[in-house]
Amino acid sequence: MKAEVMTSNDKRIGAKNFGGAYSDGRVRKYREWRGVTDTLYDYSRWLLNWVTMFRVVLSKPRNIKAMFRYRWMANYLAVPMMVDRHTQGLRGEHLRICHAEQDLIIDDVAKLLDKLFRGDRRIGNDKAFSDKVVLVDENEMQSVMMGFPTLVPLSREIASTYIPVLLNQRAALHYIDVAQEYGLAGDVCPMPEAEAGVSIDDDAPILGKCAVQCNTTCDGSLLGNGIISKRLEFEDGIPVFQLATPLRHQEDDVQEYAAQEIRNAIAFIEKETGEKWDWTHYFECAKRVNYATKCRIEWLDMNKTPYPQVFGSNLALYTETNYMAISGRIPAFEKADRKITALAEKAYKKKKMAANEYRHRAIIWGVQSHYYMDFLVWLLNCWGIVPLTDMLSMVSTKMIAETDTPENREQAIFDIAWLTENMIMRNRTHGGYKVLLDELWEFVESFNADMVILWEHMSCKALDGMHGMFEERARERGVHLVWVSHDLFDPRVISRQGVRDQINSYMRTVMQEEPVDPTLEVLNDAESW
Amino acid sequence: MKDLKHLTWFEDLLQDANNELIVQAQREGKKCVAYVCENTPEPLLNLDGIFSARLRAPRTGSMEMATYYLTSFLCEYSRALLERAIEGGYNFADCLIAPDGCTMINRAVENMELLHTMGKDKDSFFYENMEIPMKADDNGLNLFVLQCRNHILKPLEEKFGIDCSDSAIRKSVEEHNRVCSLIRAIGEFRKGERPTITGYEFNVITLATYVAPKYLLLDKLEETLEELKTREPDEKNAFRARVLIVGSEVDDPEFVKLVEGTGAFVCADRFCYGSFPGRDCITLTDDEDALTQICRQYMYRGQCPRYMDQAKMVGRREYVKRLAEEYAADGIIYEQIKFCDPWAYERMIGSHVLHNDFGYPVLSIDRPYSTSGTGQLRTRIQAFIESIEIKKIRGGV
Repeated sequence: MKAEVMTSNDKRIGAKNFGGAYSDGRVRKYREWRGVTDTLYDYSRWLLNWVTMFRVVLSKPRNIKAMFRYRWMANYLAVPMMVDRHTQGLRGEHLRICHAEQDLIIDDVAKLLDKLFRGDRRIGNDKAFSDKVVLVDENEMQSVMMGFPTLVPLSREIASTYIPVLLNQRAALHYIDVAQEYGLAGDVCPMPEAEAGVSIDDDAPILGKCAVQCNTTCDGSLLGNGIISKRLEFEDGIPVFQLATPLRHQEDDVQEYAAQEIRNAIAFIEKETGEKWDWTHYFECAKRVNYATKCRIEWLDMNKTPYPQVFGSNLALYTETNYMAISGRIPAFEKADRKITALAEKAYKKKKMAANEYRHRAIIWGVQSHYYMDFLVWLLNCWGIVPLTDMLSMVSTKMIAETDTPENREQAIFDIAWLTENMIMRNRTHGGYKVLLDELWEFVESFNADMVILWEHMSCKALDGMHGMFEERARERGVHLVWVSHDLFDPRVISRQGVRDQINSYMRTVMQEEPVDPTLEVLNDAESW
Repeated sequence: MKDLKHLTWFEDLLQDANNELIVQAQREGKKCVAYVCENTPEPLLNLDGIFSARLRAPRTGSMEMATYYLTSFLCEYSRALLERAIEGGYNFADCLIAPDGCTMINRAVENMELLHTMGKDKDSFFYENMEIPMKADDNGLNLFVLQCRNHILKPLEEKFGIDCSDSAIRKSVEEHNRVCSLIRAIGEFRKGERPTITGYEFNVITLATYVAPKYLLLDKLEETLEELKTREPDEKNAFRARVLIVGSEVDDPEFVKLVEGTGAFVCADRFCYGSFPGRDCITLTDDEDALTQICRQYMYRGQCPRYMDQAKMVGRREYVKRLAEEYAADGIIYEQIKFCDPWAYERMIGSHVLHNDFGYPVLSIDRPYSTSGTGQLRTRIQAFIESIEIKKIRGGV
């Protein structure tokens, strides 16, 4: 299978020699020149993100106090640079799509931080607010909160580990070391390991009326929760409900169990908080969930054509936030969905490309390197490999019941259960080999891809366990499969350049190609945020 | 002590997955139900016409083929099983039932299926994956019962024509309980200051009950129990300390032998393939169907770290404490097979709780699947035993 090489007909001012911007330090040497209009637009958004952070977080003394109390907080100073990393080479509509996604996520995370510290017993200690908070897992679908408009679901793990690693590649190292010093084996997934480390280190805000934990993506996340809940229940006095969601989520005979777990979780929240489930609000959220699904399907359909518009790490990050953490609860995301779709349609009509040259069409599969989330941007600019979609974005496309009727109220419980079973990553790491192995090749075909970039997150046992079968299936189909090993949260094991080198050597030795932008091939960003 | 009359016979049964009793039972026309996880209710696999064999891979050498399919990051137990399956070592099995106990075993079994490793010449061969509860509550019980119906009883009935009625299940429980009672009674001889059975001997006998048809073991188990009643212990106790082993899958008696080789008596076994809680009898009443009662007891007694509710998590550590008290353990060895995620976390937290909250000396180790000749492990255990001895000399300080 050979993909057609496509070259952009647009001017794309300044879109060359991207490697020149990298320094040996933490930040880049200069901002990217994109022509007057795009540079001004990009700069204004850069300023807006600083304004958001000041307005929501840094303007309040309690949050400054939190900056000194929690070691992970300092990473948030690198927020603007994270956005810059994801906008590399983008012009026109693509630049605006990226900002529509990223800037909204930043706003949402800023509000998350502010709320965490408001209720935190050590910082804001606003008890009335804390009593409205329900703590949830980092990787947990928040659809179980869609019917509680007066409650505030907050994830401490998103704030303390998930986002910081996106901002600073070394953000989780301290917590990984803490967990291992406490006796945890070094071969478990560093994500739950770091989350456990935060808990062991007593470095998470203490707030909330109750907590709902979930067996999310893997055995590690399930067991890591045990350490967190031990502190929550026995030291902080915060009751925890463990939402046990079936692993074989494609089977009919587990759905009633899953639904009952949701009923039990709702009853637990009602009992602990005194709030009642609100069906009107639930169905309002459900409409927004369906709208987000409709938009995502539209974007993915565009990506099946020669002119994909919403793709790469932005799609993954945005989907992860919108699908999982928002779950239709925040209207601003519906507005963003609308805006992104309009921009994408406009660019599609004009046959716009997001890079100078498209050489290969790739499906990105497996669990992405968290400390190198902008790798897909590099892949596109350096080698012309278009990341059409990724495993994290291939989530449920099922429409859920959105009209309030007696039948739909029963169906809604099953819908929430289905979404919870099919949270990001979990929908592929659990559920048997069909969802992980077989569906990959269906996507390769439907997206007309000639390449699979397969993240091999070393300590992800669910993915590792299909290693040989992935290779065999790729060989049978004549699809280029490139393994990219990494250790998710820990760049000490495989550095960012180590990640890039795996692509570089494949492209040079197997594909016998030269890079589109040779200045990107080797970068000294080991010290970079 | 005088050698146990049947010890060599029991040891021989562990030399090969396809042991002589499996061959004998199949020759008698019974079907072999292979399984891979302690969360599978054994009585359902031992109805009339079938018998269970829990898979292990004795005398494992190279695991290169399995490592290609699973990578070196999956635990060696799952890799050893896949390797043995690829080699054709499980061709004796007539079906394979696998709960989603952990990701690694799940992937190992899926690879067995995808690679068509088993059942090539058996038309009725089937693989069944089943969901098992992660919390012990009513909802979990409903799931467990339904899954056992759909993924154990239904295919057994359809494929092999097995009678899965309530009375048939009750009969199977009776036979299961005979074996459990014998193992419990034999295990009692580990108590007291001068035990008349070693941890190694007990481990060999217990393991045999997981991997061979139970009905063919009964006479030897009964004879062994009788023998133990009159067995004289050594005049001088060869052991310097009593330890309880807790943790993940141990299907190689060489591990217990290694521990006892350092001077520690293994007084109790709380690990997968061990007797706690795997050899607890199942109590049935007449006011409820047998299947539900079996599932309830498996679910509530289960000590697998995949159970995620707080009551279970706390209960696991208390269970270990109770065993340590009952069997007068001087120390506890928390072990996990390397790369086992569930036990990596449970070992960490359990070893802290048992030491800090309950005051037991604890050794926390990870280990390979095959432990014979593991010098580093021996050194660590020796050091642990010496530390217990020193504590004893100092009066427990």
